Parts: sequence; C-alpha cells; structure tokens
Amino acid sequence: MQNKQYSVKVFETTISNEQKFMDFFDNNYTLFKDHLIVIQGELSQTIQDYLEEKNLKYLENVVLPKGRTRKALEEELNAEKVSAAVSQQIVETELERLSTQLQNNLTVLDEMIRSGRELNIEGDLLLLNRVNSGATIITSGNLIITKVVEGSIRCHGNFMMLTASPKANIVFHDVEVDNTLLEDRLNRVELKNNEIIITPVLKKEINWAL
Amino acid sequence: MGIVIAVISGKGGVGKTTATANLGLGIAMNDKKCVVVDFDIGQRNLDMILGLENRVVYDMVQVMDGEATTKQALIKSKANENLHFLAASQTKDKSVLDSEKVEKLIAELKESFDFVILDAPAGIESGYEHTIEFADAAIVVVNPEVSSIRDADRAIGILDSKSAKVKKGEEVAKYLIINRIVADMVESGEMLKSDDILEILNIKILGKVPEDKGVIDASNQGKPVILDKKSIAGQAYARIAGRLCGQKVDMKNIEISDTGLFKKLAGMFR
Repeated sequence: MQNKQYSVKVFETTISNEQKFMDFFDNNYTLFKDHLIVIQGELSQTIQDYLEEKNLKYLENVVLPKGRTRKALEEELNAEKVSAAVSQQIVETELERLSTQLQNNLTVLDEMIRSGRELNIEGDLLLLNRVNSGATIITSGNLIITKVVEGSIRCHGNFMMLTASPKANIVFHDVEVDNTLLEDRLNRVELKNNEIIITPVLKKEINWAL
Repeated sequence: MGIVIAVISGKGGVGKTTATANLGLGIAMNDKKCVVVDFDIGQRNLDMILGLENRVVYDMVQVMDGEATTKQALIKSKANENLHFLAASQTKDKSVLDSEKVEKLIAELKESFDFVILDAPAGIESGYEHTIEFADAAIVVVNPEVSSIRDADRAIGILDSKSAKVKKGEEVAKYLIINRIVADMVESGEMLKSDDILEILNIKILGKVPEDKGVIDASNQGKPVILDKKSIAGQAYARIAGRLCGQKVDMKNIEISDTGLFKKLAGMFR
C-alpha cells in the first residue's frame, strides 16, 4: 500500500446568489485557484459549468474534518480527563462494594463440624466438610458449605451457598429458610430487596477439595 | 508397652460395657495380656458382666489413693488367665478422679499389659474426659439409630479436643463398632445403614455386631457372649478381637438377612 498525505486549502461556501458567487471568483481567481471548493447546499448546472470552465476542483455537500481552536482543544482534553477520573472512581467504588460483599476475612475450613460444636465466625466462611446434627455455625459474613448440613446455620452475610440439606435448620438474617427449597447440588440463598431468593447453581456433584 | 483403648459411646445403653467385656476376653483368647478397667465410678457393671462381682476387694479409686497396690486390686478372670479386671468404686462418685492419678495408674498398667481397655461412663462429663485423656485409641460403640449417633458424634468431638495426645499434636485413632444391627430392619429401611453412619461419623469401621438375644442372658450369667461359639454376636466380637490383635479378618456383611433355602420356600407360599 502506497500512501501520500497532503494538506489542502479548502474554501467552503453556500451559494445564495449565483451571479455574486461568479463575480467573487472572477475577482479572486488567483487567490482561490489552488483551493478545493466545497459547496454546501444546492449546486446548479450553471455553477458546475462555471467551475469546470475555470478549472477549479470542487466537491459538493461533504462533511469536512473541522479544525479546532486551541482553547476548544484544551477544554476537550480537560473534559476527557474529568470523565476518565469519574469512570475510574466508579470502578473503584464498585470494586470496593463487591469486595465487601464477596470477601471479608474469609475463613477456609476442611474439618467435620461435629455435634455440640459451635463455630462463631467473624466474616466469611468456606467449609469443605459436613456439619453434623447438633452443631451450630454462625457467620457475620457469607457462608459457603459444600457438603451436607444436618446441624443449624445462622448466616448474616449477603449470600449463602448450600447443598440440598433436608435435615438442616437454616436461618438467614433471622428468617428461617424452608430447606425443602434447597433442591440441587448447590443453591444460592441471597437477600434482595428484603426478600430471600433461592437460586439453584449447580445440579451435578463436583469435587471441591482435590 | 501396651496400648490404651477407651471404649466410648456418649449415649448410655448402647452396649459399651458388653463390648468391653467381650473384646477384653477376645483379646485374651488371642494370647495377649489384657486388662479391662471400669471407669464408670459410682455405677459399676463390668464386674457383673465378667462374672467377677464377688471377687472385688479393692477398687480403682483405692489404688489411685494408695490404699492398695495395683497387684492387689487386679482380678484375674475365671474364663481366661490372660484377662484381668480392675473394678470401679461403687461408693464414690466421678469427682474423685483427677488427671495426675489417672495418668499414673494408666502408665503403670501399660507397663505390664499388651492391651488396656477402659470402659468409659455414658455421658460427656468429667468421668468421660478422664477416661479418654490418656487413651491412645478409642472404640466408639453406636446403635444404628439417630440419637446414639449424635451422642457419639459429640463424644468424638470432645475426644478430639480434650485428649492429651491431641494436645501434643498427635492424633487419636478412632474406630467404630456398630452394635445391635437387625438385618431385616436395615433392609426395609427402618434402621440406618452402616454406610450412612460412617459418613456422619467419618471414622474407620472396626466391626458390626448383630442383635442377639443371647447377649442379655450371657450378661446376667456373667459369661460374656464371646464364649458361646454359636452366638452370632459372640462370633462378631471374636472377629473384632482378631482385628484388634492384628489379624486380617474380612468384614462380614450382617446387614442382609439370612436367605436360606427354607426361608426362600416359605417366601414362595406367602
């Protein structure tokens, strides 16, 4: 591919009076003979013939890239900077919101919670083992348990992920969750607009702790 | 240097004492020196099940307090000379035990016996905690029913937190005996399957013992059921004792009912 770049002088005009236009060009021919003439609006046959006769290059009804003044350029740059800063701020606050929602002091445990044990977790808990009948787990954050729960759980976080646990006693934000609604391998229980919403996430068995 | 095994259950009446007596005798029958110690102070029954109630002169508490020597207090079993018995006090209560004395007694017994079997009291109070504190291993006895399993689960939880071995960073080996299995009820789904129990308790299985009417009579007569070669529970205890002594004994599936020819014929005409 071969490219050439030119800077061309453009004379842009709209014709309202054909005679006046032709007079203007007759008088200033030497000044405009190397210009590209751009006619915006209607272009009559007379003018076309006139321009061709004078051997002037012309275009009609085109949108030209406009030059800008220095002040306008600076303003534009400034506006760009502001919008970038604003979007950065939005992303940061969003991330912060998500991180407080998803992970605060995550505790990971892979031990069986036997009967009689009471776990009081400040923050989130990921538990990779069973919760036996008679055990209690209380979390201030989110709770994910990958195996069957037969004990009781009290969760005060934004969401819980639980497997189908027909014998469990589940309390989410002081509301007892009907555990027959937890039907699949993994279910998400979350609070949205003061409503507890249960969504099945996973139907099949997966192996978490390899 | 012997091994100390605590027989625990959490719930009462599941067959801890019966299991202790039978396993003690089973181990002795495998030519190992074994001592069974009744830790259920204030409610001793192991002496009756072993048929040694009229031979008790000194008890464990007297030994710990220095009123008698261990040798004086140990009672040799009539059924097998390898089996010895140390009685609990019937007059005192569980508060007389303290860690130092228990440790000293167990250390002394460990010196002269291959197996020291401790019969834990039911419940999870101080008496239970002293029994498991210095045990190297625990045998958990459960019945295939939910209350027994939850109590056993709790007992295991306490074992895992209170045992001296765990505090040193080691692990206490835990084995499960499922007692009083009725094959028909397991088949019909009325009784918990052993696989389900193992999933809940998450410990190794040592053996399964079927329900056997002969056990009660054997206990009443003071002749552990393991002596009755025809008894199915006795056979089960003999297999478990074999496993404890290091023999490789296959697990017998006692959860399917006997389908002999006669029974099949009877089924046809039903």
